Amino acid sequence: MSGEEDLAKDLGPLAALTIGVGTMIGAGIFVLPGTAIETAGTLAVASFVLGGVIALFTAMSASELGTAMPRSGGAYYYVNHALGPLFGSIAGWANWLGLAFASAFYMFGFGDYVTAIFAVEATYTLGPVSVTLAKLIAIAGAIFFTAINYVGAKETGRLQNVIVVLLVAILAVFTLLGTLRADPANLPPSNGFGPTMLTTGLIFVSYLGFVQITSVAEEIKEPGKNLPRAVIGSVLLVTTIYALVLIVMSAAVPQGFVAEVSAAGDIAVVEVGERLQGAIMGGALLFGGLLATASSANASILASSRINFAMGRDSILSPQINEIHDRFATPYRAIAITGALILVFLVAGNLELLASIGSALHLIIYGLLNIALLVMRTADPDEYEPDYRVPLYPLVPILGVITSFALIYYIRDDATLISFGIVGAAVLWYAGYARTRTTKQGILSEYILDRSDEMPEPAVSAADAVAPDGGDYRVMVPLANPEHEKDLITLASAVAKQRGGSVVATHIVTVPDQTNLSRAAEDLGDIDAESERLLDRARSDAETSGVDVEAHTVLSHQGFEGIFDAAHTYDADMVVMGWGPDSHGSPGRAESAIDEMTGSLPCDFLVMRDRGFDPSRILVPTAGGPDSDLGAEVARLLGREFDAEVTLLYVAGRDDEDAEAFLEGWADDHDLADAERRVETGDVETAIEDAARDATLVVLGASEQGLFQRLVGGSVVMDVVDDVDCSVVLAEKKHDRSLRERLFG
Amino acid sequence: MSELFERVLLPVADPDDAAATCRALDGHDVGAVLAVHVIEKGGGAVDKASVEQREEYAAEIFEVVTDHLGEATDLETRIAYGADVPETIFEVADEFDATSVVITPRGGSRWVRLLTGDVALSLVTETDRPVVVLPDVSGVADGGATASDEDDAATDDRSERAESGGSQT
Repeated sequence: MSGEEDLAKDLGPLAALTIGVGTMIGAGIFVLPGTAIETAGTLAVASFVLGGVIALFTAMSASELGTAMPRSGGAYYYVNHALGPLFGSIAGWANWLGLAFASAFYMFGFGDYVTAIFAVEATYTLGPVSVTLAKLIAIAGAIFFTAINYVGAKETGRLQNVIVVLLVAILAVFTLLGTLRADPANLPPSNGFGPTMLTTGLIFVSYLGFVQITSVAEEIKEPGKNLPRAVIGSVLLVTTIYALVLIVMSAAVPQGFVAEVSAAGDIAVVEVGERLQGAIMGGALLFGGLLATASSANASILASSRINFAMGRDSILSPQINEIHDRFATPYRAIAITGALILVFLVAGNLELLASIGSALHLIIYGLLNIALLVMRTADPDEYEPDYRVPLYPLVPILGVITSFALIYYIRDDATLISFGIVGAAVLWYAGYARTRTTKQGILSEYILDRSDEMPEPAVSAADAVAPDGGDYRVMVPLANPEHEKDLITLASAVAKQRGGSVVATHIVTVPDQTNLSRAAEDLGDIDAESERLLDRARSDAETSGVDVEAHTVLSHQGFEGIFDAAHTYDADMVVMGWGPDSHGSPGRAESAIDEMTGSLPCDFLVMRDRGFDPSRILVPTAGGPDSDLGAEVARLLGREFDAEVTLLYVAGRDDEDAEAFLEGWADDHDLADAERRVETGDVETAIEDAARDATLVVLGASEQGLFQRLVGGSVVMDVVDDVDCSVVLAEKKHDRSLRERLFG
Repeated sequence: MSELFERVLLPVADPDDAAATCRALDGHDVGAVLAVHVIEKGGGAVDKASVEQREEYAAEIFEVVTDHLGEATDLETRIAYGADVPETIFEVADEFDATSVVITPRGGSRWVRLLTGDVALSLVTETDRPVVVLPDVSGVADGGATASDEDDAATDDRSERAESGGSQT
């Protein structure tokens, strides 16, 4: 890593820790303990500890993923990367809205503290609407913190560190002095398992912050070391603080005190502090609560803009949301939208509902995060090298999944319903919007589709069904021989143009096996010049046809494997390549290239035997079947693009009547009803060759049987390719058939 | 070529600023140019926007610069990171051994400058090398006939730019 990039990472371990602690501590301790003790009795402590344990499982998983992928966007990024964009969409929306709900909840707390400090309480009624003063202040606070992030005052970031240290200090004194006064006799009776779990569901909103650390992982110094420390450390720290505060609040004051003050509408922790340690502690806690809720909201709004960015980058959201403000250099749109959501939630919801929805949405993300870890470990892609590894794998992430999802059961029903509604909406969002735009596939579906033979069929088809289709249709053209460059690019451009896509021109340079690829890249000098000339011509040819084009030089040891790799790298939907004795430089090269084409095809392939590209009269011999579909489509696209005359040819056996009907049906099915139809009998090869005499281009579906078998057996397709005088395009559809099936048809 | 423009450091803050600065350079005989975009860091606190996002933004800005100057000039671009933008610009100027730092005033109301910090003012007052403040000539020097969308967008605040340019020099 260069020195410049090092400068981009300037968050030390303390700063990273305070993001987590600052986001969490505001909520839990200053707003909810009163309700918790009322509901769960003595076991309120257990609720907070249980919440901490559940959070800890996920914190460990998040740390491992974070050290492996210190990227902007945190939880959303990991889920999207590992599980693909369907789950990425769920995690992204849940994370974004979860933070907005939580921020609204923090602002409620903020409003409570402000009214408590000024000892005013009021309700304003305007017609049928009545609003409490606390709610009005909450709304004003939300506007204020949104505005701060919109303008981007970096001072707030530093202030956050000071606030957190101050808060921890206040709470340390409070609990230290408080435990001295603790008396087990004061403990309220336990209310049993059910209420305790319900309480855990409610207070879990106190454990949302640690995952926000991962959303700024890219800014943390030495993330391999500091990220796990900050994430896990913040969970351990706040769990301890919560537990101690709860012990003080239940054991150091007489039974019923907390319920009494809560019922009176006072803030429990402040009243307890005042009673135990006098007005100064009461004041300190009041002030602390104000700072804590403010810092939680501020950090959440900031974190949510990172999630928006990552979602926009993957086209799960419109990238337009990511526009940077000219003057403030902030993602002002994302922040403004988040601010508006917070306001809506504030107006529509109440404190407990907002907290519960925030918790439920985060629990969904936590579950997915743990699953993402299991997937990454199982698929174990080469680039996955976390510095921190979860202990007791796979027990920890499995417990993380189970406990996270199980806790959702104990969250109040209306909140759960709304949260699942959001998940459902995210799925629809993916199907209706994101699927055609995003290109990232996700490790899980890659893993399944790569092993489609071994995996159960439902898993394979499910993975295939939800796979993103990227929107932009990309036609890659591997170029070797300058002579055919223009024809290949013209063909590719026509297809790309008809499908509203773009062309990716690649010059694949084959490097001898004994030459190291990085060494070859160093003395790229003359390769570079040759590449540049070739790609420049390709670029201008494609631009002439009016399609977008990008160009790349690729070094590879094996020509054809290089094409496959490049197709993968550049997300090609179709590869258009030349083939013939001279198309890859050396005689015979392409023959062996086709030999290699016996595995699975990563995308559709058009292989052109180029004898001059003239699409004015196109012949499409067909026998039906999936590969003739692609041939038909290509013929149709070319017909439309070049106003060509298309002739369909079917070589029938003896029963002529059926053949006419078949070809007519086939033409209708493939939108080629306008094409001339020709039915011949006799030898297939001769018939095709005869028909080809009138044609300028033959488009053939390539793999009714294994292509390899045809080659070896000298079957129809190959002979035709050699014997006709015009150019031939072989069309073969993307498929994942096994090598054995491919070889023997 | 005047010695002043032998090695020019071009701080660019946003795409419009980049276009304005490049336009202002038109007609001057310029040697090597280093366009620099400073990503303001929190200096130990969370940044106001994702660094990856700011890097993408920088690429957009450099595209504008390359479109304007790429053909004719010996042009380099660089992203710099620093908590103090003017200071970072001067550090880069040192490394590049710049003979001058060329800016055009960005204007903006007093409030905007209060909120964002007045980088231009700091550049002029804290400098250890020539800082050339060129007027934003936008439509005029280009010839109005070829005014692009960008120029149109700049029209609104042109008077503002000119005004603040006057008050700063």
